[in-house]
Amino acid sequence: MNWLIVKNDLKRNKVINLALVLFMMLSTGLAALSMLIAVQTFTSISELYKTAQPPHFLQMHKGEINQEEIDKFMSDYKGITDWQTITMVNIYGNSLTVIGNEKTYDLSDSRLDIGLVKQNEAKDLLLNSTHEKVTLHKGEIGIPVLLKDRYNMKIGDHIILADNEIKRDFVIKEFILDSQMNSPLVSSTRILLSDEDFAMLQGKFGEKEYLIEAYFTDSKEASDFQTAYENAGLPQNGQAVTYTMIFLLSAITDIITVFVMLLVSVLLIFVSFISVKYTIMAALEEDIAEIGTMKAIGIPFGDIRELYLNKYRVLAVVGVIAGYLLALLISGLFIKQINATFGEMRLTPLALILSLVISFLVYLLINNYCKRILKKIKKVTVVDALVSGKGFDKANGGIKDGLYKSKKLSVNWLIGIREVFYKFKNWTIVFAIVLITTLMVLVPANLMNTFEAPEFITYMGSSLEDILIEVEEGENLETSYVKVKEVLENDNSIENYFEYRRVRVKTTDSENQLMNLNIDCGENAGNDLKYLSGKAPEEESEIVISYLNANEIGKEVGETMVLFFDDKEQEFTISGIYQDVTSGGYTAKSKYIFSDIDAGKYTFSVNLNDNVDEEQKAEEWSELLGAGITVDPMEEFINQTLGGVVNQLKTVVFGIILIGASLVILFTILFLKLRIAKDLSEIAVLKAIGFSEHDIKQQYMIKIGFVSITGILVGIILTDFLGDRLVNVALSISGLGIKKVELIANPVIQYIVFPLFLLMLILFVTWFVMRTIKKYNIVSIINE
Amino acid sequence: MKTILEVQNLCKNYEDTKVLNNINFKVDEGEFIAIMGQSGSGKSTLLYSISGMDRPTKGNVLLSGKDISNLEDEKMAEVRLNKMGFIFQNSHLLKNLSIRDNIVLPGFKSAKLLRDEINQHADKLMEKTGITSVATHDIKKVSGGQLQRAAICRALVNQPDILFGDEPTGSLNSSTTKEVMDIINAINREGTTVMIVTHDVKVATRAGRVIFLLDGNIHDELLLGKYNEDENKSSSREKRLFEWLEKQGF
Repeated sequence: MNWLIVKNDLKRNKVINLALVLFMMLSTGLAALSMLIAVQTFTSISELYKTAQPPHFLQMHKGEINQEEIDKFMSDYKGITDWQTITMVNIYGNSLTVIGNEKTYDLSDSRLDIGLVKQNEAKDLLLNSTHEKVTLHKGEIGIPVLLKDRYNMKIGDHIILADNEIKRDFVIKEFILDSQMNSPLVSSTRILLSDEDFAMLQGKFGEKEYLIEAYFTDSKEASDFQTAYENAGLPQNGQAVTYTMIFLLSAITDIITVFVMLLVSVLLIFVSFISVKYTIMAALEEDIAEIGTMKAIGIPFGDIRELYLNKYRVLAVVGVIAGYLLALLISGLFIKQINATFGEMRLTPLALILSLVISFLVYLLINNYCKRILKKIKKVTVVDALVSGKGFDKANGGIKDGLYKSKKLSVNWLIGIREVFYKFKNWTIVFAIVLITTLMVLVPANLMNTFEAPEFITYMGSSLEDILIEVEEGENLETSYVKVKEVLENDNSIENYFEYRRVRVKTTDSENQLMNLNIDCGENAGNDLKYLSGKAPEEESEIVISYLNANEIGKEVGETMVLFFDDKEQEFTISGIYQDVTSGGYTAKSKYIFSDIDAGKYTFSVNLNDNVDEEQKAEEWSELLGAGITVDPMEEFINQTLGGVVNQLKTVVFGIILIGASLVILFTILFLKLRIAKDLSEIAVLKAIGFSEHDIKQQYMIKIGFVSITGILVGIILTDFLGDRLVNVALSISGLGIKKVELIANPVIQYIVFPLFLLMLILFVTWFVMRTIKKYNIVSIINE
Repeated sequence: MKTILEVQNLCKNYEDTKVLNNINFKVDEGEFIAIMGQSGSGKSTLLYSISGMDRPTKGNVLLSGKDISNLEDEKMAEVRLNKMGFIFQNSHLLKNLSIRDNIVLPGFKSAKLLRDEINQHADKLMEKTGITSVATHDIKKVSGGQLQRAAICRALVNQPDILFGDEPTGSLNSSTTKEVMDIINAINREGTTVMIVTHDVKVATRAGRVIFLLDGNIHDELLLGKYNEDENKSSSREKRLFEWLEKQGF
């Protein structure tokens, strides 16, 4: 192994080698980082679940319960290991006033249902950041991390719980980890009180809600249990959630982050490949005479290849190690977030090992790729190398005569455009890098924009309206319904509104077993949703079902399904399958009213007149309608539900933009350095025949500008075309109720700001690098 | 005769090495000058320093009375484009362009004439140099002699005041050399001033004046008078030149 040659070469091409190392470092870094985050998230959640023990099945219920009946059902059900019923006292955000060091505020703007609870004995525990069961004394309060992050609360802040009659002062003692309600996608959150305080407040304050929880020998039992539980007529006035869904919702932010990072990492590996290929080919072309001589004197191919391979091995080792270390360094940022949500945990050995394995895989990939490229040495003959001057270039294709035909276009433009058109191969690499950067930035940016867009509600099983009103109160359901109707009918700021009633019927699943089906029915049901297939129901005999239900039932659009209700059965035709993440993703919608069955819930979606402020109106109605009725302005509802995902994505997208910009800068420098070295004699000739340095600079800017514009355009088209598909593959793997998302682009960013930014950056770097042509002496180059 | 080029006290150093030392001479309009000398005597350096491709360390170069020795890159490029033509030992044509496109390129850049006029002028030059048949060809598909003729056409397309040549026949065989030199003489006869660097005596006999450089200084000059092939005086010119060169120690 000739280390001297490697050392000399590394010294000679410092900038190029540095750029290569950086590409390898970034691709390895991101691959290792995504692995670190993925493993750490899942291990952290598992660790939290080990102590906290969230339920395998949870049924929320507002209204009275008969515990004896529940106990009997639970003890008779096979496979059940434990169960418990937790009492939660629901309060409004405006009943809680926080007195911090800097400001005093209430939680009235929180869209989460806030419930007060006491600590459980053994299961579904609320833990502190080190996974210890939190025990509070009188006057102390435990705040969920979700609220802490949103309001920036501190330990020691005072919280006043006040209602008409009661006023209590609490001190924040702990920030608690709630294994089942730690995701903003879950609409409730729990605040912990001491047993004494809870006993004192219970019955005097807020409204009761029960959490009926069950544990099984195998958590997969939960969905069968759910049907049996609902069929038994046990309390079910509220949402039912299974373990899988709790897990998934907890990890959703990190799943999305990991997905984005893996995508970028794969793209960066491609960038490394492209750069490695380009530099190897440049080095081989430069050394063609030496290679020819080595071959002529009988040095075997393997030995010649080894000479080059060693250099790239050294670069790859340095790049991969640096990338791995970088991942460890940056991981702190993300681990901090994971720790805040799931509890303090050092990087696990598994995360360290697996990220090391993935880094090693990147090294192997690069090494193998280098070997493949270096096979070209085998193919080149001594004659090609030394005599004919053909070198590694295959037939270069003829040139196109015709510059002389041009009447107006300036010569610099003519030279630039002709080169790009007729010798595009020389520039494919720039095209590829620009295209990859465009994809790399725009897909995550669009994903972020999609989560932020009001239209995202249509993936959550609802049409896009201004305000959503939900009536879920068991005993007072019908009274509350009438109350809402009255308010809406008498408010002239409303453009229109739609009402839906939720009923539960039975149908059969794909194995012909009876299962429950929740249907939202109303005259507008199913309109304005995103359909995976089919369309909204038009007739009363039609029904649309959610994607997860369609899988469960095993039916497709056009097929019929039988619904059993009110001692009769009725056939419905499935007119469409839509996506939904609410109610665990298992919903259906129909225009048939099912008037014989009692409603379990009423929903109103309201469109306001143009000049009406949604937030203000929602607040006004909320006060007017009072307890048991939630009024959410849609946009704010989405902001609070998906805010966490969007915030983390913002950090990731910002990072990606930085990586993309550095990538483009480094690559343009690397490319131009090698390109100028290749074109030096032509540059000298142009200077000799009267072209100024400014002209030559302009020609290169035209060339690189044209190629970049093409790369950006194709990148944008691919983002529109491939972006959705990539995200959809990830979504179908995730198991959420969404299978197909159309990414919502911000047109100003996608079509104007980003392309211009990228183009300007490339042109600026080109202009900067091209200044170096000043230092080349025409005479010495021409006489070489 | 009007002086087209005047070199005053021209010096050129490469780091500590003095390559040209206080060179002074004048060139009249329509003259044909050959610069000769041993290897390393500074002949090519002199040519490049005069033509602005290399910056002189000291001294001035006046082209049509204007000092061009300290012009900025942009201005110097303009002078090279419009006032000078240059032929190298190798043709140095741009490989992505056809023969014709290579020739019209400086014309299009200069825009002294309309593009149609430049094309017509290029056609005439190609006809004169006998390369019309390969006008549309890829430069990789024509002979060395044809390439050098194309380089001459390119150098002349902007009708320069002076044509420089650095060993313009250095890479050609004797018959092609003759053909190329015939073309250069014809151009000179039409009024273009020519200054070439050569070590080939036969080529130098085509010049009206020969300047001999020795160690960066003008050692001597020989006036041969106008070259006229029809008078078949070339052999006596050659003899005179040989004898003179022998005296210079060539």
